[in-house]
Amino acid sequence: MIEIKDLHKSYKMGSNSLHVLKGINFKVDDGELVAIMGSSGSGKSTLLNILGMLDGADSGEYTLDGVPIKNLSETKAAQYRNKFLGFVFQSFNLINYKSALENVALPLYYQKVPRKERQEKAMQYLDRVGLKPWANHLPSELSGGQKQRVAIARAMAAEPKVLLADEPTGALDSKTSYEVMDLIQKINDDGNTILVVTHEEDIAHMCKRIVHLKDGVIVEDKKIEQVRAEQYV
Amino acid sequence: MFDRDIWQEIFHSIKNNKLRTFLTGFSVAWAIFILVLLLGSVNGMKNGFTGQFADDANNSIIIRTGSTSKAYAGFEADRRIQLRNDDVEYISKSFPKDVEYITPVMFKGATTRYKSETGSYSLRGVNPNYLLIDKTRLTEGRYINDNDLYKSSKVAVVGKKIVEDLYKKDSVLGSFLEINGLPYKVIGVFEEEGRDDNAERTIYAPVTTMQRIYGQTDEINQISLTYNPNFDLTQALSFSERLENLLKRRHKVDPDDQAAVRVFNYAQIFSDISNFTTGLSTMSIIVGALILLAGVVAIGNIMVFIIKERTKEIGVRKALGAEPWQIIKLVLLESIFTTVLAGFFGMLFASLILGIIGPNIDTPAFANPSVSISTVVTATIILVVAGVLAGLIPSIKAANVKPIVALSDK
Repeated sequence: MIEIKDLHKSYKMGSNSLHVLKGINFKVDDGELVAIMGSSGSGKSTLLNILGMLDGADSGEYTLDGVPIKNLSETKAAQYRNKFLGFVFQSFNLINYKSALENVALPLYYQKVPRKERQEKAMQYLDRVGLKPWANHLPSELSGGQKQRVAIARAMAAEPKVLLADEPTGALDSKTSYEVMDLIQKINDDGNTILVVTHEEDIAHMCKRIVHLKDGVIVEDKKIEQVRAEQYV
Repeated sequence: MFDRDIWQEIFHSIKNNKLRTFLTGFSVAWAIFILVLLLGSVNGMKNGFTGQFADDANNSIIIRTGSTSKAYAGFEADRRIQLRNDDVEYISKSFPKDVEYITPVMFKGATTRYKSETGSYSLRGVNPNYLLIDKTRLTEGRYINDNDLYKSSKVAVVGKKIVEDLYKKDSVLGSFLEINGLPYKVIGVFEEEGRDDNAERTIYAPVTTMQRIYGQTDEINQISLTYNPNFDLTQALSFSERLENLLKRRHKVDPDDQAAVRVFNYAQIFSDISNFTTGLSTMSIIVGALILLAGVVAIGNIMVFIIKERTKEIGVRKALGAEPWQIIKLVLLESIFTTVLAGFFGMLFASLILGIIGPNIDTPAFANPSVSISTVVTATIILVVAGVLAGLIPSIKAANVKPIVALSDK
């Protein structure tokens, strides 16, 4: 599903250049649930941004679902993001003046799905994250866990090939974190490929594979025994 | 453009920022308000000037003479040029196709008495054509006719103001009015379309009568005529030039002598007025456009601010797959909507003021200020363009926001 070869990325900081990713080789198969771990500054968020086409790499190859991702125009990148990727952010990033339902329907709007169908589909995904009764509430009326579930529903509504989650539990208490992980595990059970960036060990162990990043290189890549989040909920 | 979601978002943005939207809109509304008022005022001036000449046919020409200012053809300068009856005939015969109506005019002061009331007016000797040239409207009786002219009858057509001055309740028609010591029979009363009161303090008598009474001459003071009403400005001006040349030749006046033979063409005056008011309109459009520009800059400024505020939201949208064009559209439509709505209010308000006070203003230099539909349409087009301009730069900026920058939590 995802294949990257010898990926490099550096940022210019004034006259200095900060080499963040120093040759990453990495492969993710269909249906995997991968945790990307590392301390801050290890390059894990940069890697996720490049995977999410929010940022470009300096050199190296990136193939997503057989499509080479290189030198994309803004418009093309937007279309690929819409078609291939779903995003879940640490700070939820819901649009605060739109109801839960409208937030979930937004990626469908950019896919040019007709309004009625959009609403139905969005409602269906809200139902899947258990928030159907909250469909018409504004984000400000939802709890942190609920917001993240809306964000996950929004990411899933576009039916992406890969779900990218950047510290999805970073802003949540541990009980809510497990609820969100439970949801992510269930989505993965349905066959969706998911990448989770986290620095929490317990969250990482709820995935099926852990990739450790340190100073811009992968230091460890291992399959693990998944811990189900259900038991903590 | 007629996407419900986009409008929903625009309304939301406006609703959540009422003061900001109001302040922005106000600058545009104010600019349009001033622009429309300016154009309306220019129109008012135009109406005022034009109204001054409404009592004369638009296609009329007046010929008067004076003394020569240059020596010519063996004559010394300072020779008096006198118009005579045969000049009138000569003109009609020389330009049978160009002249519509023509009349000699003789001026005299008129000390006038009716019973115990007296007044001082002006007396004009004319022929029947004068009625058609001067656009005089009879309210009672008849005008001077060919028979009066032939018989040199002592008959008079008097202005409405004279009747008000001299006659109490007596019937005017058939009464005898003493003008410069001689009795004239009043055969008609007239009123003028123009606003000049003095025009209605005039007495008309047959030119032949006056020539006989005042010196047994064939001298006249002025020739008034109208030319073919189908002439355009160029033809009219060329006709008055030919006319002037003809008279100068006839009276042996230097072609460059401006003092001896003077031909006033109303078309020239109208053309001057219209040039003047066109100039004024252009100027007021420029001034209005500059004010509008300030409003547009204000909107652009606010839009930049809005974008800054919404950077994160735009980042989210882009992460969800919004194309740059869709972001531009969102910002642009909000800008256009604000501009057009505000401008519309400014326009409405200005038109309302013009509509209410306009018809009540009627002074010599300023009458019925108003704006035409075409002005309103032009202003609207300017508004939309202004809205696009104001929103364009900020929206392109918004579209270029890198999602990664927008989404950073720092």
